[in-house]
Amino acid sequence: MDAVQISHVTRTFGTVTAVDDLSLTVPQGSIYGFIGPNGSGKTTTMRMIVKIFYPDRGEIRLFGDGRPETSTDLIGYLPEERGLYQKMTVQAVLEFYGELRSGRGVQAEVARWLERLELAGRASDKVETLSRGMSQKVQFIAAVIPEPKLLILDEPFSGLDPVSADAIRSAILDLRRHGVTVILSTHDMHLAETLCDYIFMIFRGRKVLDGTIGSIQDQYGEDTIRVTASGGFAAVEHLPGVEQIRDLGQVRELRLTRGADPQEVLRALVAQARVTSFSLMKPSLHDIFMRIAGPAAEEASHANA
Amino acid sequence: MRMHKVLTIARRDYIATVRTKAFLFGLVVAPVLFGGGSIGMSLLKSKPDLKDRHVAIIDHTGVVAGALVSAAREKNQRELFDKTTRRQIAPRYVFEVIAPAANPEDQLLALSDRVRHKQLVAFLEIGKDALHPPKPADDSADGTSEKSDPDGSVSYYTNAGGIDEMRNWLNGPINEGVRMARLAQLGIDIDRNKGLTASVPIEGLSLVERDEKTGEVQAARKRNELEGFLVPFAVAMILAMIVMVGSAPMLQNVTQDKSQRIVETLLGAATPFELMTGKVLGSVGVSVTSSLLYVIAGTVAVNALGVAGLLPLTIIPWFYVYLLADVVMLCAFAAALGACCSTPQDAQNLAIVLLMPCLIPLFMLVTVLRQPNGMLATVMSLVPPFTPILMLLRQAMPDGIPAWQPWVGLVDVVAFAAATVWAASRIFRVAILMQGKPPRLAEMARWAMKG
Repeated sequence: MDAVQISHVTRTFGTVTAVDDLSLTVPQGSIYGFIGPNGSGKTTTMRMIVKIFYPDRGEIRLFGDGRPETSTDLIGYLPEERGLYQKMTVQAVLEFYGELRSGRGVQAEVARWLERLELAGRASDKVETLSRGMSQKVQFIAAVIPEPKLLILDEPFSGLDPVSADAIRSAILDLRRHGVTVILSTHDMHLAETLCDYIFMIFRGRKVLDGTIGSIQDQYGEDTIRVTASGGFAAVEHLPGVEQIRDLGQVRELRLTRGADPQEVLRALVAQARVTSFSLMKPSLHDIFMRIAGPAAEEASHANA
Repeated sequence: MRMHKVLTIARRDYIATVRTKAFLFGLVVAPVLFGGGSIGMSLLKSKPDLKDRHVAIIDHTGVVAGALVSAAREKNQRELFDKTTRRQIAPRYVFEVIAPAANPEDQLLALSDRVRHKQLVAFLEIGKDALHPPKPADDSADGTSEKSDPDGSVSYYTNAGGIDEMRNWLNGPINEGVRMARLAQLGIDIDRNKGLTASVPIEGLSLVERDEKTGEVQAARKRNELEGFLVPFAVAMILAMIVMVGSAPMLQNVTQDKSQRIVETLLGAATPFELMTGKVLGSVGVSVTSSLLYVIAGTVAVNALGVAGLLPLTIIPWFYVYLLADVVMLCAFAAALGACCSTPQDAQNLAIVLLMPCLIPLFMLVTVLRQPNGMLATVMSLVPPFTPILMLLRQAMPDGIPAWQPWVGLVDVVAFAAATVWAASRIFRVAILMQGKPPRLAEMARWAMKG
């Protein structure tokens, strides 16, 4: 059974169409990464899954059930705009959120999660005394207590230091191992590539990518070359069959024009510089994102319009 | 609607509110403020202005001023000092009689200057025909009355503001003096007929009743002024106070949840309607808590003062019914308004709108107390937002109101409260996640209608 089934959903705010005829299926037990530029419709889609917003058209079913009242209790939700009752203690605020979702006492689970995220010593402190990172961890615990069947995390890693981010990542993977379906949005393409089973990209309210990272990359083929060569940026300029060069610092990333031969490029490159590394690869998620929503794509879109 | 969610939200809000210093402070301060500053007034009353009150009298009759001077002397002897402590407790009235001058205008101007320089508090000019004033002229054709003849009346000149006690007091002695002078002119010996002009007191009594048990007719009891005025006034004030204390924090509460980004997390676990209902229920709990404290304190107080019999016990159930309906109505309204605000500043600007259903009846209290069964009082007490306070005020008055009116009022209030909750929940749902400029009234009305 699919955890989430979105069918032809449209949601508008005034004259703005935030989500346009979106269909998406999230398999149970998977980690689904939502990517897209700011304002593209990620948060609106998540809010519709949580039933904070209702679609103008279309339908969203959770675990095969279209009824909102019963299915939302299965969801743990971490919104992008975080907020906790500042005057309550960490323990009290977590018990409140846990009880609100489950209707039962959750003291043991709260204690276990506080221990796991190294916050046990702060249980009786007021939320207002916590650092931003700690508050974010508390908010994450509020979303996972009691253990949900579907966990929706809107940018769960933003503002976290590497240690805290690692703790959250490990917790997410653990939950998935226990059968929890996770939907998360992120602007960190590397994280999406490495953590998520499936990637969904939304741009201007419309679905532009959906699938595993491998299947998405397959759509583009091996059209990317990473080069390290003496002579810096000048060494890779004016190569035949190259339509775009991206300077990554120590490495340059070249995108080939459709049908270009990588061997031709290598020959031309060797002729004008000393090459220390040359690798042919599929485009990264970041590169794909930029091809769809970067400034060049914007310009092309405006030119076509 | 999932009740466990509603109750969890209500319990958190209730505990969070009653534990705040603001709630405890409001519990103590609100009665002081709403009591019309009666404590302050009584304190000030015990510290009156004891400066002598100088008044000049120009008596064109030549016979009335003497009576005024005597009356002032008697008043000073009677009221100037406390009989036990011998401390001065009232100002001395000092009257000086001035002969009419050849140039009346200059004399009036000179006396006016003395008033301006605080040497006098006022001066009187008793017209030469004051003993036998000419008959007042008929109303003129356009309905306006002719100005009274200064020769046939007494002119009182002052620049005193507010309630002029001197003028109120002078009314008695001047007329007494005039009557005495008239009787003396008729040759009646005043000293031998001392009671001739004595006033007869009017005593207020309750209605005569037959005792249901014994069948005996009970004598009317002396009617206490408190019964007709203070008890209804206090009951209406307490209701208004509790409703305001209970519902006003809701606006800030919702705005705070919204500005601190707490709302979205809550909406991930409860529907907007469950969230709003929980918050309203929490506020109802706060109001019931304060009302219980006030009712217990009030009962202890009236027992201690020995005026327990004045409390109309039959209105206590009505008190709670109106309290609950009013708090639900205002809290739902506050939740909708709060959802439309993005900052505490926005909420502050809208607070006055929220308090209007309480403030308007409070402005009308005196009018309703004067004519509890008048057209205005009846109609306004059947307008749902004002019904709780005004109907309760009228019910608490000794002469009561027609039996059908509280029931019609109650149906109105319950229907209106239900409609408010319904409309507020629709506005709440749309507005709660909106940021930026608060919506216009027309937009809110559209959300209420369309959801």
